[in-house]
Formats: sequence, structure tokens, C-alpha cells
Amino acid sequence: MSTRRGFLKSGGLALFGIGIGGVPSFMKAAAASGKIISPYKKKKILVCIFQRGAMDGLMAVTPFTDEYLRAARPTIFMDAANNGKGTPLIDLDGKFGLHPAMKSFEPLFRENRLGIVHGIGSPNNTRSHFDAQDYMESGTPFSKGTSSGWLNRAVGLMGHDATPFRAVSLTSSMPRSFYGDNPAIAISNLQDFGIQMRGSNANTTNMVAKSFEDLYDQTSNNLLKETGKESFDAVKMLQKTDTKNYRPENNAVYPASALGNALKQIAQLIKMDVGLEVAFAESGGWDTHFNQGTDQGIFARNVTDLSNAITAFWTDMGAYQDDITVMTMTEFGRTVKQNGTGGTDHGRASCNFILGNDVNGGKVHGLVKPLSIENLEDKRDLAVTTDFRSVFSEVADRHLRINNDGLLFPDWKGDKLGVMKG
Amino acid sequence: MKPVFKLLAVVLFVALGIVALSSFLQDNGGGKKIRYSFPYREAGLTDRQAAAHLLSRFTYGATPGQVDEVVNMGLEKWFQQQLDGGLPDDSLNVLLADNDALTMSNATIAKTYPQPAQIRRMAIRDGVIDKDSVNKDTNKKEYRDQLAEYMKSKGFKPRNELYRQFINQKILRAANTNNQLNEVLTDFWFNHFNVSLTKNDCAEFIPAYERDVIRPNANGNFETLLLATAKSPAMLMYLDNFTSVGETTRQLNPKQQQRLQQEIAGALDDASRDAVLKKMQNAKKNQGLNENYAREVMELHTLGVDGGYTQQDVTQAARVLTGWTLYPFTDYGAGAAMRKVIEKIGEDKLTERGFVHEGDFLFTMNRHDIQEKTVLGKNFPANGGYEEGVTLLKMLAHHPSTAKFISRKLAVRFVNDNPSQALIDRMAKTFTDKKGDIKEVLITLAASPEFWNADALREKTKSPFELAISSVRSLDATVRQPQQLNNWITKMGQKMYYYQAPTGFPDRSQYWINTGSLLNRMNFGLALASQRIPGITFSLAGINHNREPESAEAALLVYGKILMPERNLDATIKRLTPLLNDPNLTKKVDEAAGKNAPPVEANSIVQGDDAMMTADGAKGKGPKGKPGKKNSDMTVAQMQNTYAVANNAMLSQVVGIIIGSPEYQRK
Repeated sequence: MSTRRGFLKSGGLALFGIGIGGVPSFMKAAAASGKIISPYKKKKILVCIFQRGAMDGLMAVTPFTDEYLRAARPTIFMDAANNGKGTPLIDLDGKFGLHPAMKSFEPLFRENRLGIVHGIGSPNNTRSHFDAQDYMESGTPFSKGTSSGWLNRAVGLMGHDATPFRAVSLTSSMPRSFYGDNPAIAISNLQDFGIQMRGSNANTTNMVAKSFEDLYDQTSNNLLKETGKESFDAVKMLQKTDTKNYRPENNAVYPASALGNALKQIAQLIKMDVGLEVAFAESGGWDTHFNQGTDQGIFARNVTDLSNAITAFWTDMGAYQDDITVMTMTEFGRTVKQNGTGGTDHGRASCNFILGNDVNGGKVHGLVKPLSIENLEDKRDLAVTTDFRSVFSEVADRHLRINNDGLLFPDWKGDKLGVMKG
Repeated sequence: MKPVFKLLAVVLFVALGIVALSSFLQDNGGGKKIRYSFPYREAGLTDRQAAAHLLSRFTYGATPGQVDEVVNMGLEKWFQQQLDGGLPDDSLNVLLADNDALTMSNATIAKTYPQPAQIRRMAIRDGVIDKDSVNKDTNKKEYRDQLAEYMKSKGFKPRNELYRQFINQKILRAANTNNQLNEVLTDFWFNHFNVSLTKNDCAEFIPAYERDVIRPNANGNFETLLLATAKSPAMLMYLDNFTSVGETTRQLNPKQQQRLQQEIAGALDDASRDAVLKKMQNAKKNQGLNENYAREVMELHTLGVDGGYTQQDVTQAARVLTGWTLYPFTDYGAGAAMRKVIEKIGEDKLTERGFVHEGDFLFTMNRHDIQEKTVLGKNFPANGGYEEGVTLLKMLAHHPSTAKFISRKLAVRFVNDNPSQALIDRMAKTFTDKKGDIKEVLITLAASPEFWNADALREKTKSPFELAISSVRSLDATVRQPQQLNNWITKMGQKMYYYQAPTGFPDRSQYWINTGSLLNRMNFGLALASQRIPGITFSLAGINHNREPESAEAALLVYGKILMPERNLDATIKRLTPLLNDPNLTKKVDEAAGKNAPPVEANSIVQGDDAMMTADGAKGKGPKGKPGKKNSDMTVAQMQNTYAVANNAMLSQVVGIIIGSPEYQRK
């Protein structure tokens, strides 16, 4: 990979020369001073994926030797042994089996890049999707009034110079995790980033864009002036790549799903070196009260999409992999027992996946006790043995170098689990 | 004093009073006196400038000509009229009439728009759909059809239809109501007492919440408003108070106690006695105190986070409010059992036992913590029942911290993002003196020099909703498809009614203006002005009284003034003039000619939607790269039409840029 500075000197400015207004202002300054400027300094990137609806962690990563679980789930329990009833689980360590539809995760796990935390959840035992998501995203499980989200605070604590793309959520509206004082963007499609005049030719559009740029440059309101400048800088940054005809590298194939598209666009932003530090995407359909299926069916489809999208992203990132950690999260898990409609109801702990070269991978972290009734929370659910903040803060600490837990997760003190390499 | 003299004295006194008063009071025509005047001349503002400022803050934007109307009426009189509200809204009511959900009670809404999961459960229960067919790939269509048929037979309607109507009314009201200030305040208080459609369990109650709890009290009294929110199903569900149960209520009522004792006494052996005890304990274990509402009512609704309360106060207040819950609405789910119990015992008997049922609100004595409590130093003796909750909320409503907190929030909304302490103190004093009268606090605000100062003028940033609504108001546009406007508002960063946190949308320029949203504001301006937003139509000629500007520069000036009355437009005009001298203009004319645009009205600048549709359609659908017809082939009429099309395109570009310009984002 060429150095950012080399890029700056050689072709960078030329690339920016096309399009609406020439070179982004901060790049001009950088070129003049000959210094490496912030967006081009190598940055660590955290990609978070929220699985909304509460994933059944016991089906994603099954403690398949547990006879209680087998008994509690007569029609949806899967085995690691080939018993002729569909595709068996992928035996990870003799105790836990990965859902067969997540087979693309297996090599990453074996290479010790993918770690799993089981028994993860919130100390607040609410089983309301809304409340549990709210608490997990604000990072304060006992306080509803927290105005900011934990990822927004993370961005602030890193304290790097502002670029328009420091925190980007590939969603149509701002997720709770991103609420707060630090600039963050929610955008569902990168192609929307620009001046759009349907039915007008490029000249007219450029002219209109130039008019806007001038007007914002001249305004007496500082906020509008600065944000205007940033916005047009951002447009110029995006113009150097053809986002519409993006071709992933290393033969990566993203699933044609919302999550696949989101991760594909995050990959593009990373490759553009626009200063991305925290990215956010969502995955839906996890609230499997009815017929969640086994190796086939709704749950299998969901985990296929999740694992294939993440694997494609990882493959596509190639040389950037050292800078990236991907982490999934879900608001809670599901009941140990299957319900009367072939599904599972709202429970407590679930599991999550963390992928990256500085992840202590190839392991299932955390504690899952035998699922006998006395070990269950409220006699029904996988007990929360790892506070989500313990994992989130460790990832933030080791990967993003944020070690102020008091600000990132106020009201929390606790041990790190060791999911990242020390 | 003899009666006759008494009467005479009264008459004389009243007459003298009138003479004395009228010497320094204005008559507002409705017989009411206005006791205040706005100090805008002292701030160096003309009547028109002041009216424009007033309109930009207390309405969703001035309509063409409205500045003059307010000047003619008198600024104070207009303001008083808005505070009093109740102006007829006949044309708005016609627009809203199609939306049948808007007038439904909570109970009717719950019955008509059940949650999808509820419908599914009922359909399975009624044997209409097979539980195994849910989520199966093979018969998805069949399943959907069955479900649709079931909904039809039961009279159920899809949830999204409820939300659609609710959001539509918000947009239609804001754009059209004559009671603008009431609508602005409805938005303010809704956001202050935020609830969110993201929370399914409270979503169905939100339309009635805004309609019955917020809007009628928005220009009223803060105490009334606070109490109404506390008792509303939406808030009870959103902040979980409906589920909060006191620790000491486990003792239950004497009858239940007796039954339990009998059951235990009658147990044949230890095992069965333990079983009874365990059953009771389990029943209790699932319930308990929930502090969410108690915390937020102090932190966000009244005292403010630094308002001087402790965690102890939160817990104690939560105990005071145990038993505040919803009256069960439906015949299904958890409510059904509760309803049966209520019906069995009878409301009269329940009232005797301290239960309170008011509309959708229910105070259930059996969940209430009857022990003594202390909140903020005030003692609540044991057995205070429902009334102690009312006392607590009244105490919070009139607390000095509340007066400051609410005054500050109003000042931030209507003056600037960092209002001066002097202004806040003055408003807080009115709040206290007038016992939470919102109108009086707003009068103090608008009669303060701070409201008219240079550091207040144009200092607030329009929220995406305000930008969208002020745009359609300044263009005098007709909104036929509010949903289309809502899509843009969402895209610009404000998903109406979906703000998840109880804090409500932050009222700060920095929150609205970021790189993600700013370009969307510009694109919104361009899309709206070129009539590319379906269902939003207007006539640019119409708002200029069908007068055609003599030149492109004149058009810029004319429309700049219509859209941004009393603003300094020099910079905008200077920046936009080059656009008018666009060398591409000739090319555009040629292109338009080449595509043989069908005739448009000769009244060139006329911008009826037909004309624009034609212009757009001709551009969009014409074969690309095909050389245009030569000008010489065109008739004079065609030439004129062609220029009209090009002119219109140019004019809508200018208007689009004005709406997307930095000046237009300010209010």
C-alpha cells in the first residue's frame, strides 16, 4: 500500500481537480505545508453491526453437548454430529457448534481472527426490544435520559480532527448509538451525497453546486459556513471514486441485502481514506417467535446473510484488515425452551462476534453454564455472565485506544474479558 | 352605604377605571386589552423587520404578504390573537377530513389497528391461519392473503395506515393552520414530553396523546399539561410507569390476604403449603418498582438534571406514583383479565377502595405503595393514594427549578441557542408569579429586549421540519401528498415522531446542521422548486400576483424578497447573478426546442404544475444525444413557448437555490 503522503503528492490533488469546486480546502493546506494531515493519517476503524430483534445466541453458537438444551428444544435443536437430519453444526471446540449457515465464518475462526463471546448481555433485565436496544446503544443500562450514544462518545474521546466522514451510519436515520455532540452522518446511500438535479445536464448541476458553495462560503453564520465547506469537501472526496460501479477486491461477493449493501459502502469509504473511524450498520429479522427453523429456514437465512456480508467485507478490505475491527451486537437473547410455535421468545443473554487481526480469536469467550433450570435467569433464560460494556470497552480500548471507561460507559467499572490481544 | 349609592359608586369606579386604563392600553378589537408592547424600535428595527422576525419564530414561516398583514394589524395584537388561539380553520379541517383515524379514541385505535403480532396471534387462535405456516417460504403469498382476509373480516387495519394519517396531519396542520403559534407550541411540548413511535407498545396511543394531551394545553397552564402527560397512556407506556408496583402492596387487600391465609392453613402438608407460598412469591417477583418515569419527570420534564434532586428522591417519587396505569382497552392480551376483574367487582366498589378511573387512566390501589414517603423534603404520609401523586406533580410543576428549566427551554426555542440569564430569570419570575401560565411566560419573552436583539435575529437554525414547512408556506404551495414532504424531512435528518430518547430532538443548530444533512437541504430546495416532489404544487407567478419580472435579475430580487422578507439579500443576489447569465441558457433553449416541447401558456413565467411537468417531461424523456430541430423550423409561438420553458427552468433553479441557501436555513 502506498503511503498517504505519496498519494497526496502524486495523484491525489489531480483527482480532486475534476468536479465541482476543485481541491478540498484542507488538502490545499496540507499540500502547502507538506505535512500529513489528519484524514490521511492511518486510523483504526470500528465497524458495528446491530442485529435488531434479539438473536437467538443458543442457535447461532450452540452448546451442543448440553442435554438440557436438547430437551428444551425438541424440534429446533441441532447437533454437531451428522445424524442424517440436515446439515450438522460446525464443531468449534468440542463444546460449541457454529450454525452451519455461517460456514463462511469457520476459516476466520480457525485463523484466530474471529472471536465469539457467549452469555453476553445487559445487566438490566428488561425484555423489551425498545428498552434493551436503547440501553445498549446509549451504553447506560439503567438510565433512559442519557442523551448521547456510546459510539458518539467514542468518536469524541478519540479526539481526532474532524472530517465529514469520521462517524458514518449506513442507515436512513441516525441510530441511538450515534446520538450526541460529535458530528456523525446517517446516510443510506453514498450516491445521495452530492447536488442532485434530475433532468439537468452536468454543466447546470455544477453551476448550481458552485452557487451553493459560494453562498455558504460567504455566510456570516459560522456553523453554516464551516459545515458547507465540509459538505462540499465531502462531495469532492466521493467524486474521486465511482460509487455506482464499485468493484470489490479479492473476488469478494457481498450478498444483495441491506446489510451487504451497507458493508459494501463502508468498504468504499474506508478505501477512499476519508477519515472514517466508526461505522454502523443494521441487520433485521431476528425476532424469531415463529418457526425459526434449523439448518434451513428463517434463522438460517439471517445468519447466512450476516456471515456472508461480514466475510465479503473482510475479504474486500484486503490490505486494510489490520486497521479494522468488526463487532456485532444484539439487544438480548431468547428463551432456552422453544415456544409453542416453533420459535423462541424474549430472553436474556446472547452471543456476539468480533472480527479483526488484533482480536483474540478462535475462542468462545465468556461463561455458559449447563442449562439446567437452576442456572437459568428467571428459570428460563441463558444467564448474562458478561456485561456488554465489558466487551465494548475492551474493543474500544484495544482497537481505538480509548481507555476512559468512565466517560465511555459512565456508571460502569468491571474487568475486561480478554477478547482482544493484550 | 345605601344600595343606590353603592351601585353608583361601582359604576363611577368602573367608568373611571376604563378612562384611566384606555389612556395607556391598546384595544385589540376583541374587547381585550393588550398590556404590553414589543421593544423592537429600541433595537433599531422597522415595523416590517420586526413583523418578519416575529413570524419567523412564532409560526412555521411567513406566507407571501403576511408581513404586511401583521404590520397592519399591529404586532402585539397579532401575537395576542395567536396566544388566544381558536381561530377558525375551515379549510384545514376539509383537508383533514379524509383521515378517519384522527378522531378515534385510544380504545377504538387499539381495536382497529392492532399490532401485527397481535393480529397473528388472534388469527392463529381463531384457527384462520395455521401456526406452522408463519414464516414458511413455500406459501408466503397464501399466508399473506389469509391474513389480509382475516383482517378484513375483523375490521382490522394496518398499523402503518395509522402512522401515515398521524404524520400527514402534522404536516397539513403546520402548513395550513391559522393557529400557527398553537401548532409551534404543540411541537415544542411534544418534544419536551417526548414519546416515540419506535416503541411499539406506546405507539398506538401517540396520536391521541398529541391531540388530547398536548395540543389543547400547549398555550395553557404548565401544571395542567404535566398532569395530563403523566396520566396519558402514551407516557405511562413509554416510560414504563404502567408496570410499576409498590413493594408494600404485596400485602394485598384484606380479602386476598385472608384467602391466602386460608389456603396456607388448609394445606395438607408442608410441600403443598410451600407451593402456595412459592406461587405468591413468584407472582410478586415479576413485578416491582420502575423508576423510569419518576426519574425523567424530574430530569427532563420539570426540575432539570441540575434541579436539586437525588437518587433517593427518584425512588421515593417512583413509590408515590405506583399504581398509575392504563385502563385496559381491549378484549385480548393482558388487559382482558384485568377488565374482567374490574367489571366483576364494579367501579363503584373500586372507587370506594381508592381506585380512580378517568378516561384512559387508571389508578389501581392494589399496585400502590401505601407506606409513607418523602420527596424533595416533602412528607407524604401513609395511605395517600392517588392524591399524593397529584400533589407530587403539582409540587414539581411549581418548583423554582422548574420555572427556570422551562423558561430556559422556551428561550432556547424562541430566542437563541444560548439565552441570557437575565432573560431566563425574568421569564422564570413570570412563570412563578402567574402559576405556570404559558401565555404569560411567552409575553415576557416577546416583550423582552433580548428577543429583538441582534444576537437573536436570524440566529436560530430551522429544523428540517421547519425548513420544509416554511418552504411550502413561502411558496403558498398546496400539499396534496404530505408523505412526500415527510420523506424529505426524514432525509434531512428529522424522522418525525421517531426520536427514540425521552430527551426529544436537541434544540441546537449543531444538531441539525451537519455534512450528512446540509446537502439534502440544498437538494430539497432544488427538488421542491422544480416541482419534482410529487403532490406539492404551487405557482411562482401566483405568488408574484401574476406579474412577470422584467429581467432575470429582477426575478431574483422579486422572489428573494417574497421568500425571505426583510432580509439583506445583497450577498445572495451577488452570488446568484452569474447563474442568470448562464451561457448554457441558450443551449438549454435549443435543447428544449429540439425536444419540441408542447405548447405551454404564453404567460411565460406561469408555473402551474402542468407547465413544469411538461418542461420536466420533455427534458427527461427526450432522446438523448439526438440533434435538436433547427430553430428555423420553429414557429414564433413555439419559440415563445421554448423561452418560457427555459425561463421557468431558470426561475425554479433560482428559487431552489434560495431555499437551499444558508440565509434561508436561518430564522
